[in-house]
Amino acid sequence: MTRISPETPAGAAAAAPAPWSIRLRDATVRYPNGVVGLNKISLDIEAGEMVSIVGLSGSGKSSLIRTINGLVSLSSGTLEVGDHRMDLARGRELRRLRGQIGMIFQGFNLAGRTTVLNNVLVGRLAHTSVARTLVGAYRPRDRQLAYEALDRVGMLERVYHRAAHLSGGQQQRVAIARALAQEPGIVLADEPVASLDPPTAHAVMGDLRRINRELGITVLVNLHLLDLARGYGNRLIGLRAGEIVYDGPAASATDADFERIYGRPIGDQDLLGGAASSASTASPVSLPGEPV
Amino acid sequence: MTALNTAPRTSRTAPARPVTPPAKPRNPWRVVITVAITVAVILVFWSVKVDWARTVNLPADIARYLWLMFSNPAWDKVPEALWQTWRSVEMAWVGCLLGIVISFPLSFLAARGIGPAPVRFVLRGLFSLIRAVPEIVIAIVILSVTGLTPLTGALALAVNGIGTLGKWGYEAIEGVHPGPIEAVHAAGGSRWQTVRWGIWPQASPEFVSFWLYRFEINVRASAVLGLIGVGGIGDMLTSYTQYREWPTVGALLIVVIIVTVAIDLTSGAIRRRITEGSRVRDLA
Amino acid sequence: MSAAEYPGLPAKPGGRWKIWLAIGIIAAITAVTLAPGIGVDFSLDAILRNWRNGTEKIGQLLVPDWSFFPRTIAPLWETIQMAIIASVIGAIVSVPLSMWAARLTNPNPVTRGIVRTLLNIVRAVPDLLYAAVLVAMVGVGALPGIIALVLFNVGIVVKLVSEAIESGDPGPGEAARAAGATQTQINRAALLPDIWPPFINQALYAFELNVRASTVLGLVGAGGLGLLIDAVRTFYRYDQLSLIILEILVVVVLIDWASAVIRKRVK
Repeated sequence: MTRISPETPAGAAAAAPAPWSIRLRDATVRYPNGVVGLNKISLDIEAGEMVSIVGLSGSGKSSLIRTINGLVSLSSGTLEVGDHRMDLARGRELRRLRGQIGMIFQGFNLAGRTTVLNNVLVGRLAHTSVARTLVGAYRPRDRQLAYEALDRVGMLERVYHRAAHLSGGQQQRVAIARALAQEPGIVLADEPVASLDPPTAHAVMGDLRRINRELGITVLVNLHLLDLARGYGNRLIGLRAGEIVYDGPAASATDADFERIYGRPIGDQDLLGGAASSASTASPVSLPGEPV
Repeated sequence: MTALNTAPRTSRTAPARPVTPPAKPRNPWRVVITVAITVAVILVFWSVKVDWARTVNLPADIARYLWLMFSNPAWDKVPEALWQTWRSVEMAWVGCLLGIVISFPLSFLAARGIGPAPVRFVLRGLFSLIRAVPEIVIAIVILSVTGLTPLTGALALAVNGIGTLGKWGYEAIEGVHPGPIEAVHAAGGSRWQTVRWGIWPQASPEFVSFWLYRFEINVRASAVLGLIGVGGIGDMLTSYTQYREWPTVGALLIVVIIVTVAIDLTSGAIRRRITEGSRVRDLA
Repeated sequence: MSAAEYPGLPAKPGGRWKIWLAIGIIAAITAVTLAPGIGVDFSLDAILRNWRNGTEKIGQLLVPDWSFFPRTIAPLWETIQMAIIASVIGAIVSVPLSMWAARLTNPNPVTRGIVRTLLNIVRAVPDLLYAAVLVAMVGVGALPGIIALVLFNVGIVVKLVSEAIESGDPGPGEAARAAGATQTQINRAALLPDIWPPFINQALYAFELNVRASTVLGLVGAGGLGLLIDAVRTFYRYDQLSLIILEILVVVVLIDWASAVIRKRVK
């Protein structure tokens, strides 16, 4: 495993953030319509962990992911990312913190009518002045970061293609590149493969795992399919009705654990199936418990 | 092949190998067209008989007139203004009804699958011809027969309405789902039975919706028709504008705005009810 | 009663009275609008009096006075100039205003409400009334016409484009917000690319409307073909009016065709 300590190399990496830890204390999210998203959750995630979060829809896993970068704000409790109090951050400070947290969505959320490059450069907005954004004059360094990020997910060839012309799997890779271009300390992924077919889903999950292993970035992935959760996460958190009902190593989570999380017997609809494709076989280490 | 296998942290600030993107595709035609349009627009700005230097003072001038109009509007003219507005709305209403009555059968005849091809062709040509001519020009033509009366205004709006309503009508008819039409055909229905039971149930909410929309358009247009002397609020407004009685102009504009916005809001609310009702029916 | 038609037939649903009420209201308003004294006067004697003279005039429409053509060139060109200039200015002004008026691009309800209210007011006044008032303010010529068209333009484009924005996909904006962008950056980098096509479409549509509208603005002294229309109608030269109408038709059809071509390319 090629995890590299975030402090290297001395001096040069001043701009590159270290992977961040996440610390929630009694965190509650109550929406204006009275629905409780999170109910007094306390949770510690160490820097560099790869965590799968599972639960049925409405269990609060989306609330948890969105809370961590402040898209949903806490009703009570505290949230620290790295050394920063996310729950207290407002305005410029909030945007600066969000700039260090990459996010990947189920629906890719790319602007379909513009180029892949412009979409990836959205990841640099937190480091770009409004004036530069308005005329589209990104700095060479920001462009370079975008090229690198695209290169990492194997999409550099498509840099000038329109995002809408790509397949679903390619779009999600561009979305991952957008998150990587942020030079993030954390990457959050909200059901990143729910709109993809099984081989593509495995490829995208493989990309996320490599981000975690090779760049050392903390990765949190929302999933509802238990084989993916078991196969790609190191740690597994199960949510039900806004509360944590399981927290342990992903590989050793049993079907009984999943039945407790889901509150019903598990069946075929909870499995993606299909062997992990090229993406994960290419990774240097295979995890125990990987789907066969 | 792993795309993620370069040494990560170090490459962030000092990439081991600078990543070079593929060459940017250029579309020379795009550049040519953009330049051509820009040059044309600049030429138009430069050649028009407008003293652009004067526009520097324009905001201040307009602010001064707005102050003259609205600082102390002539409220005593409001009853007369409301009466003239009513006359305009009457023109709009009668013109709208006439337009609906005439355009309704025509739009069916102009729709593909109902009217014979030559009729369709002639009607569509007529609709686009009418739409190209502004209402006020139609009114000028009509007034040679009807004189300077509100009737002229109503007729002009009716003629113009035939153009727009006819077009929207046949588009709505051609846009309905073919399923119910096939069902009526399959049950042995005639052409007009198909229209009544295959098309009309689907198209009726749309028809009612754009009849109302046409009324909103007519309300604005009827105020304009007053400018050529057929009566109504436009007539009154031009007179007082020519006398430069700014407080009265201000009061009249306020009346026009309030009446128009009120009619828009009412009509818009009814239209929303109708179209949303149809959506509920579609789901059922 | 229904039981007599068929055993077990359920009662007819209520609610038909609403349709009858609507028909009643429409009939009542129509009756009032046609009533003598307060309504549109449908008296036929004026028509009968004018009939002979009127039909003769309308007959003249069928034989355009081609010799009048040279005098129409300059006003026609001015009409097109006014439409182009107003469309360009209107389109540029509409971009930020549309974004201020849509919830997706402006989450602040106060500023959004202010912009929307102002635009509703601007839209309530027809272009010719603007032109009439503006001519009194800044004098006759193309300038008041251009300003009137810009107001007309902005009213339409902002309404249609802000509706297009609202019905658009919030996803790219959410992604940019999650990456720490400000609202302005979100609008420019993530939302503008997808707003662009509907914007171009509506701007072209407004341009088509502008061409139609600009032909008559001269009736109140705001420049263009309308000045000529006003002159020929005073002298009842319907053969010359006929030529002007023909020119309007040709220009409108050409512009509609050109804009359809551009539209197809943008898609």
